[in-house]
Amino acid sequence: MLEVRGLSKHYKVSDRDVVALADVDLMLAPGSFTVVVGRSGCGKSTLLRLLAGLVAPTTGDIRHADGHRPTIGCVFQEPRLMPWLSVAGNAGFGLVGKVAKAEIASRVAAALALVGLTDFRDAYPDQLSGGMASRVGLARALVLEPDLLLLDEPFAALDAFTRRGLQAELTDIWLARRPTVVFVTHDVEEAVLLADQVVHMDGGRIIGRRPVPLARPRDATDQALVTLRRAILDDLAGDPSQAATRHPSSDQRVFQQETVP
Amino acid sequence: MAISRFSKRFGATCVIAAFAVAWWQASARGLVSGFLLPTPQTVLLTGWELVGDGTLAAHVAVSIVRIVAGYLIATALALPLAFLFGISPAAQRAFEPVLEFLRQIPPLAMMPLLILWLGIGETQKIGIIVLACFFPIFLGALGGIAQCDPKLVEVGRACALSRGSILRRIVLPAALPAIVIGLRIALGQGWRALVGAELVASAAGLGYMIVDAEQLARTDIIIVGIFVIGGLGLLADFGMRRLIARTAPWLRERTEITHA
Ligand SMILES: Nc1ncnc2c1ncn2[C@@H]1O[C@H](COP(=O)(O)OP(=O)(O)OP(=O)(O)O)[C@@H](O)[C@H]1O
Ligand SMILES: [Mg+2]
Repeated sequence: MLEVRGLSKHYKVSDRDVVALADVDLMLAPGSFTVVVGRSGCGKSTLLRLLAGLVAPTTGDIRHADGHRPTIGCVFQEPRLMPWLSVAGNAGFGLVGKVAKAEIASRVAAALALVGLTDFRDAYPDQLSGGMASRVGLARALVLEPDLLLLDEPFAALDAFTRRGLQAELTDIWLARRPTVVFVTHDVEEAVLLADQVVHMDGGRIIGRRPVPLARPRDATDQALVTLRRAILDDLAGDPSQAATRHPSSDQRVFQQETVP
Repeated sequence: MAISRFSKRFGATCVIAAFAVAWWQASARGLVSGFLLPTPQTVLLTGWELVGDGTLAAHVAVSIVRIVAGYLIATALALPLAFLFGISPAAQRAFEPVLEFLRQIPPLAMMPLLILWLGIGETQKIGIIVLACFFPIFLGALGGIAQCDPKLVEVGRACALSRGSILRRIVLPAALPAIVIGLRIALGQGWRALVGAELVASAAGLGYMIVDAEQLARTDIIIVGIFVIGGLGLLADFGMRRLIARTAPWLRERTEITHA
């Protein structure tokens, strides 16, 4: 169990106090799959950074079940690869010095096969496309075999087919090893395909939660899934009059991106 | 339009050949006195003699030993200090004014003091080289460390690396292009400072060889010396670039000096 209580994070941006995260309470059952959706700038990445322990919260705390920090795998919003390391070197980055070399090699080989980059194991980051680089970032987190896997829009740079494939792979990994997953996306279809529960954030707060009680494997054209997806889209769009008062300046990107068939 | 490698080389070859011909014609036709500017043939012949009797090799060896020693000492001082400053802003703030002041002083201006303190032996020559090499290496490394992308450091923290591992596995490689540029500039600066030091007070080395030739009014030896000094400088820089290309292929394009 991962328990988040009263978590908030304030930033100072040119003398202005920016509230990136405000009083978030969140319970993540072990082995659960939570997808976070919400408009750009609503605090999703900030939540992940706090969960990863990369920044200290302004208030509140994060408690892990047995009191100590689990193995955490992070996939950042940007690929963040080391330009001086090959694809294989980047994928195995977090394992060096922690497990035996042979073990690193086999885990890296498996992860690169999974993300479809076996042929590029010796390439350098500046020789990769954006989507390939983001897949290396995913491999780097997966090789750690984390108990807590935090993914920040990991498939945003990918084409629909590659994305579908990796969604299936991620589901398989999750079913096999049952890490606790927190996954940020702007793609509502992706959210309902993957999640146990979808958490809706706005203005640094969690303003809605929807369980996704659908059997796996899931099919994007399944009627129950389509209905749920539409409901979440409605959540995100909000009542237009209400939305205007709640965030007068924020854009309608999430709403515009998604078109319901 | 792309200029082929051949035509680039061709241009350079033409310029060099033009210089050689101009020199040759100027001295052969007596446009300048043979005493002030000996012909290329004379210089070649003198060079051959100096190689033959071992004089040149002896002077070159003395200079190289000095530059290698001074360069290594400077590197051993500058790199750890830069990393200390990189991780400790307090240390940086404390030492910065003194270092900024010292940086303004050309190494050769320290010669008189060094001669009084260290004599005119090897220690003083090596001291000059250390002074000349220190700042390019130190500032290069410091700049490289400062430029390290904090987002990459965050990756290290997300992987639960220790501070030491983050320094060694992220900050150091990220700073490497700047460090390498510093090392390249330092090699050139050190070489120039060494020849300067040998000109002023020395009993051996390439700098000594050319002042000694001046006393004897042997312009040909001076010119041989100048060619060897320039040639060895180029060779060292070339070697350094080869080393970079071999050991750090991702650096090749980022360590070319445009304004050295
Ligand atoms: N390091 C920082 N310094 C100052 N402000 C920050 C910092 N990180 C985030 N913020 C602010 O916090 C708010 C939330 O940012 P965050 O990156 O969490 O948004 P997000 O939901 O991930 O958005 P997106 O979907 O565009 O990635 C923004 O207003 C941002 O300006
Ligand atoms: Mg984000």
